[in-house]
Amino acid sequence: MELVVLGINHKTAPVEIREKFSFTGKPIVEVNRLLKESAALLENLILSTCNRVEIYAVAGSHDKDYLSRIKNFLGQYHKINITDFENRFYLHRNEKVVEHLFRVSSGLDSMVIGEMEILGQVKQAYHEARHAQTTGKVLHRLFEKAFNTAKKIRTETAITWGTVSVSSAAVRLARKILGELADKKALIIGAGQVGEQLVLYLKKNGLKSILVTNRTLEKAEVLAKNFGAQALAFEGYREKLSEVDIVIASTGAPHCIIKKDDITHLMPKRHQRPLFLIDLAVPRDVEQEVNKIDNVYLYDIDDLQKIVDVNINLRKSQLENCEKIIVSARQRFIDWLANENLKHHEN
Amino acid sequence: MLPFLENPYLFLHIITIHLSYIIFFLASAAALIYLVEDTQLKHKKTKVLFSRLPDLSFLDKLNYRLIGLGFPILTLSIISGVFWVRDIQGAYWSWNPREVYSLVLWLLYAATLHVRLSEKLRGRKVAILSLAAFAIIVLSLFSNCP
Repeated sequence: MELVVLGINHKTAPVEIREKFSFTGKPIVEVNRLLKESAALLENLILSTCNRVEIYAVAGSHDKDYLSRIKNFLGQYHKINITDFENRFYLHRNEKVVEHLFRVSSGLDSMVIGEMEILGQVKQAYHEARHAQTTGKVLHRLFEKAFNTAKKIRTETAITWGTVSVSSAAVRLARKILGELADKKALIIGAGQVGEQLVLYLKKNGLKSILVTNRTLEKAEVLAKNFGAQALAFEGYREKLSEVDIVIASTGAPHCIIKKDDITHLMPKRHQRPLFLIDLAVPRDVEQEVNKIDNVYLYDIDDLQKIVDVNINLRKSQLENCEKIIVSARQRFIDWLANENLKHHEN
Repeated sequence: MLPFLENPYLFLHIITIHLSYIIFFLASAAALIYLVEDTQLKHKKTKVLFSRLPDLSFLDKLNYRLIGLGFPILTLSIISGVFWVRDIQGAYWSWNPREVYSLVLWLLYAATLHVRLSEKLRGRKVAILSLAAFAIIVLSLFSNCP
C-alpha cells in the first residue's frame, strides 16, 4: 500500500490560484465518492479550506499511475489544465504524509502558527470522507493519530498560547483592565480596517454597546449599520467620552485629537471609572501623556503589535518540542503501517 | 476563668480587633496585586496577559469592599477598647501610643473609604491608601502596642 498527499497551500500558491482548486458548491461527501471511483483508489479524503486543498489517498502497491489519475480528476473536476499549475502542488509519500498531516492538524503549517481552527476543519474533512465511505483502515488510523497528536501538542507545549492578532490582544487587555465586557460601552472615532475588525471582535466578546463617529456622518451611519451600533455626529463625541469605557481612535487627523488635559478634566465626570484608549491611527490621535493619568490606559498600534510579536516568538520557540512529539508519533504510525503491509502480503 | 472573659468589653475588643486585622490583611493583598498589575499594564509589560490574576476592576472593588467590611468592625473594636480602659483605669482616653495608633488607623481607613465611596479616587491611589493603613497595623504590632 502506498500513502500519498497531493496538495496546494498558502505557501505554494496565492489565493487566486488556490480558489481555482477549492471544492465548494458540491457537497464534499459526493466529491470524495467521485474521486474514489474515477481514480480507482483504495482510500481517499479531501481537505479543502481557504488556505489549502489537499487530497490524501491510499493506493495499492502495484498501482503505478494512480497519481496521474488523481491529477486528471482534479483537472476535469475544476475544468483546468493542471499542467499549468503543477509546480504549485506538493506531493508527499508514506512517512512524509504522516508528518505533514500531523503538522497541519496541529496548526504548525498554518498562516498563523498554532491556530486551532484547522483542527476542526481536518476533523470535518475526516467525518465527511467517512460518511462518503471513501476511507479505510489506513486513513482511519492516520487521522485518529493526527487528532491525538494535535491534542498532545496543544496540551504539552505553549504553541497555542498568547494572542497573535491585534484585535485579540486588545480584547485581552480590555478584560484585564475592565473585567467583564458585558456591561461596557465602546466609542470608535474614525474608520479603518483594523478598527472595524477590532469592533467586530469586541462585539463577539459580548460588549454591551458601540458608538461610531466620523467626520462625515454618512460614513459613521454606514459603519454603525454594519456593527449594529449607534452613529454619532463628530461634534458630539466629546460629551460621550464620559459614558464609554473603551475608545478606539483611528482618524486620519494630522494632530492629536485627544489631549492629556481633555482626559484629566474628564476623569471626575467619569467618577474615575477606568478608561481604555486604543489608538490605531498613524500619526497618532491620542497624546502619549494620557497614559500617565490614573485609571487611564493608552495603547497604540505599536504597543499592540509588540504584544503580538512577543507571542508569535513564544510560539516559534515551541516548534522544537512540537517536532519531537510529531516524530515519535509518526514513527509509531509507520511501524504499524509496515506491519499492516506485511500482513497484507502474507494473505 | 480566663482573664479576657472577665470583662465583656475586653472580650469584644479582642474578637473584633483580630477579625478586622484579618479583613484588612486581605484588602491589602488585593491592593498589592492591583498595584503590580496596574504597573505592568501602564508599562505595557506583556506578561500581564498571561497571568491568572484577577482583573483590575475586580481587585479595586475587592479592596474597598473589604475595607468597608473591616471598618465598622474596627470602630466597634476601638469603642469596646475605650470602655475596657475606663473599667481598669478610670479614664476613657489618655493619648498613649496604643490609642494614637488606633486613632490614626481609624482615620486613615475612614479617609480611604470616603474617597472611594464618593468616587473621588479609584484604583491606584485607593490601593496605596489601603497599603499605607495596613502598614500602620504592622508598625503598631512591631512596636509592641497593638
